[in-house]
Amino acid sequence: MKEFEDKWEDRINALLDGELSASDAELLKAEASSDQALARAIVEAYQLQQAMNSIKVERAPDSLRKRLRAIPREHRPQTSFRWLQPRWAMALAAIPLVIIAVSLMQPDKPSAVEVAKARQELAIAFAYLDKAAAITSREIESTVGQTMADAVTDSVDRAIKTQSSDAKEKKA
Amino acid sequence: MSKKYRQWVREYQDQAWTVARYILKDAGEAEDATQEAFVKLWHNRDKIDPERVQSWLMKVTRNGCLDRLRRRRDNVEFDESYMGGEVSGPMQGAAASQTREWLKRAIGSLKEPYRSLVVLRDVNQHSYEEVASMLELNLAQVKTYLHRARKQLRKQLAEVRP
Repeated sequence: MKEFEDKWEDRINALLDGELSASDAELLKAEASSDQALARAIVEAYQLQQAMNSIKVERAPDSLRKRLRAIPREHRPQTSFRWLQPRWAMALAAIPLVIIAVSLMQPDKPSAVEVAKARQELAIAFAYLDKAAAITSREIESTVGQTMADAVTDSVDRAIKTQSSDAKEKKA
Repeated sequence: MSKKYRQWVREYQDQAWTVARYILKDAGEAEDATQEAFVKLWHNRDKIDPERVQSWLMKVTRNGCLDRLRRRRDNVEFDESYMGGEVSGPMQGAAASQTREWLKRAIGSLKEPYRSLVVLRDVNQHSYEEVASMLELNLAQVKTYLHRARKQLRKQLAEVRP
């Protein structure tokens, strides 16, 4: 029975969808003329189809239309060109500045030739210094020695003078 | 590409909204679900075959709505044999507009996947092949389920009509 009803349903729907061939449509009508239940089913199906035709696609509300239009603006891709964002651009721009600053802070390393020349000049300078120190030393020794000799001579002279004057006083 | 997206919005926003509205029965949530589907469309715009954007979008919209229904623990069942359920409403001598409103409620009261099938095929007027692609069913399944859904609606309509 169910199989029989399904067969009806298929044919009724095919008829309403315009998919039933002309010969099959005639057969269905002939069958309906002798089958009251089938005839009623066909009439009801037509009534439903008419009612269905009065139902249209609903217009989306303006609020939704606005939301849908805004999607491209609100959902821009963020994976590409992220490095172009201001903070990343600033960071990228700072890199050469850091490199320059670090290189300026690094002392220059002299070449081997410069080192050898500096050593040579330093040796000469030290040689001059040694020579100057020796001369100075001798001058100091000489000066100090004379001074000390003068000091001793003076003190001896004073002592002799003092003693001779004491002796004269006693004699007198 | 943004131009293409805007074109898709113009062409499919009403259809996606209709699907969401029927499944969720809540305007605010339907807006959110439709927006989510279009956000996914935007993010996948380069991967989707332009010929299949409509099917892709309807499927994503529907799946998003069903996820929302599951989250709110609504009574969603994928009962293929389901043919019960009635929509109450005085329809004796009803005017066309009343019949239309009654039918909308009746469609909304269908269980999945019948409700989606009726909305996609009979309201949005997609072809059987498109509906099969959207719901990831074969053509025979689409026809069988849709015929059951229509039969249920047909019987309910006959009961409330003079």
